Amino acid sequence: MIRSENGYFGEFGGRFVPEILLPALTELEDLFFELRDDPAFWQEYVTLTQEFSGRPTPLTPLRRLSKQLGGAQIWLKREDLNHSGAHKVNNVLGQGLLVQRMGKQRVIAETGAGQHGLATAIMAARLGLNATIYMGAEDIERQYSNVFWMRQLGSDVVGVSTGAQTLKEALDEALRDWAASVETTHYVLGTACGPAPFPELVSYFQSVIGDEIKDQSIRQMGCLPDEVVACVGGGSNAMGAFGAFLENPEVALVGIEAGGISLEDGKHSVRLSQGTGETGIAQGYKTLFLQNDDGQLGDTHSIAAGLDYVGVSPILAYLSQQGRVIADSATDDEVTEAFSLLMKTEGIIPALESAHGLAGGFKRAKSMRPEQNVVINLSGRGDKDIFNIARAFPQREWTEFLQREAARSTELLAQKGGH
Amino acid sequence: MFPAQYETLQIMSHAVIGFPSLEENEKAIAGLAVAGVKLIELQVPFSDPVADGHTLVNACYEALKQGGSVKATLDLAEKVCARHPEVTFVLMSYLNPLYRYGLQALFEKAAAVGIQGMIVPDWPVEEIEPWLPKLDELGLAPILMVTPNTAAERVERITRASRGMIYVVSRMGVTGHETQWGEKFQNYIAEIRKHTDLPLAVGFGVRTSNDLNALSGKAEVAAFCSQYIEWQRDDGSEIAANKMQTIVKAIDPVGV
Repeated sequence: MIRSENGYFGEFGGRFVPEILLPALTELEDLFFELRDDPAFWQEYVTLTQEFSGRPTPLTPLRRLSKQLGGAQIWLKREDLNHSGAHKVNNVLGQGLLVQRMGKQRVIAETGAGQHGLATAIMAARLGLNATIYMGAEDIERQYSNVFWMRQLGSDVVGVSTGAQTLKEALDEALRDWAASVETTHYVLGTACGPAPFPELVSYFQSVIGDEIKDQSIRQMGCLPDEVVACVGGGSNAMGAFGAFLENPEVALVGIEAGGISLEDGKHSVRLSQGTGETGIAQGYKTLFLQNDDGQLGDTHSIAAGLDYVGVSPILAYLSQQGRVIADSATDDEVTEAFSLLMKTEGIIPALESAHGLAGGFKRAKSMRPEQNVVINLSGRGDKDIFNIARAFPQREWTEFLQREAARSTELLAQKGGH
Repeated sequence: MFPAQYETLQIMSHAVIGFPSLEENEKAIAGLAVAGVKLIELQVPFSDPVADGHTLVNACYEALKQGGSVKATLDLAEKVCARHPEVTFVLMSYLNPLYRYGLQALFEKAAAVGIQGMIVPDWPVEEIEPWLPKLDELGLAPILMVTPNTAAERVERITRASRGMIYVVSRMGVTGHETQWGEKFQNYIAEIRKHTDLPLAVGFGVRTSNDLNALSGKAEVAAFCSQYIEWQRDDGSEIAANKMQTIVKAIDPVGV
């Protein structure tokens, strides 16, 4: 796995935080540096992911779809089969081990699609910790089912109504909470972004994905894959999938960003692939941000709340700049098409975030030869997207059901005298 | 001019450039000068102000809609520095807007228009140190923050890199909430004084006359910011300036 130089990856990374947060980041870094080379710690982590989250997740060949597209063989790394339904839980379980060692009793997290928040709520419930999850008010509306479950699991979900009310603002608010609570609280950052050591630490725990892909490829394909494709929001599932292959230049690593509606300002979340992102320093680190000439961070859009983010992992910014990672993007329309294609051809319901990886990966596979292999990281499952998908494919039947359900739920609430 | 060590308590107040509007900023700053405020922070509004509480966060969003920017801040600074020579103006900003402008160009321009100091909460001492020769040459004072959880050796490093004064964050958290000024706080101040002869500007949670009198005789500067911005937001700049005048006059020079 890639290592930083004093928290930097080339010119990106670093630790640009208010002084108050520094001791906690140093404490975390010291602990992480002490543990990351300890095979016993890695084994403890892997065992936990086996016992609790069903790892290793399978590498599934898409035989029918590959044939239909007529190019390379497509394989899916099934992170959707994790407990909680996404790769996010890997990082959270790992950070849970760190929280236990630090003896902190409370955790906070930011969440976009809610998968990281859900994973954090699950970890907190399991370890008996208090959890507060910050989520943009807009994202709460888009991913209400995850909010529902986080609250059922005992977490406090706080809606953030500043700015565009998405992941960026949730991260700001989590940092504000942490400034007040840092001595007793661990911030479970959900992606390979933010101040050092988070990009490195999150990538370390997620590297379990790429390690498995490597073993499974050799066993199932008899060789390494030609390409590994992953969607890129903050970059944690991509770093996880790519990490094991950084030293294998024959394996192309492809990150797919959210092309949204168009490349117009505020209509997409493309930072790497179209020269849209520019170097900036915010939210604790230096990377490519969507921003204006005054250095104000821009608004983003994606059909997938989990990719709707203004910055990107400094490690990916560096690898992309070095040419090691190829960056591309998929639009909202391409994504819903790939979503539908996977579902109808292979019986797998992907998350909209992951469907970006599918759209990009399918496109590349088509232009490749049948003896070649493409692995796409299916970072999460799509159950959480039922409302968004229903909106993308409007049906009278669904709308009528919602009306009946709303009436039933209102009646029930009135009977029980709830609020 | 920054106050001398152990000088009587002064108030440092605040303007978020563009809040409530660029024109209003000029009137508000004039009002503060009349009220007897000798130090004023000119805050560049930012989309992601992570060290600020809701008052300043919302003021930033509003300011951005009204045309607040680095350039607008420098333009305003040029006018107010010339108009109010008795006031020391300090640039307050998050790092990214300054970084985008170009740090060296920004420092030169800021010094040229008469800004005397700089507070950048997400700019750590390690990153500031390489700039010290340039900043010293320009006479632009980096005012670094010390927080209650800063380790002694780091306080030493921060105070050594600071110029003009040290910004003492009074408590954990963000701006805009109450603070207790008891024995624990006084020990904290005493610890910092062991490392520096620079005057101390205490900020975060300075909201009332009682807070000011608690600080009088213990610190040289009290940053009275969020409360002032709330007055400005709720009552307008004129009434806010009157309230500030009352507060300034009520400071007991000996303290409590």
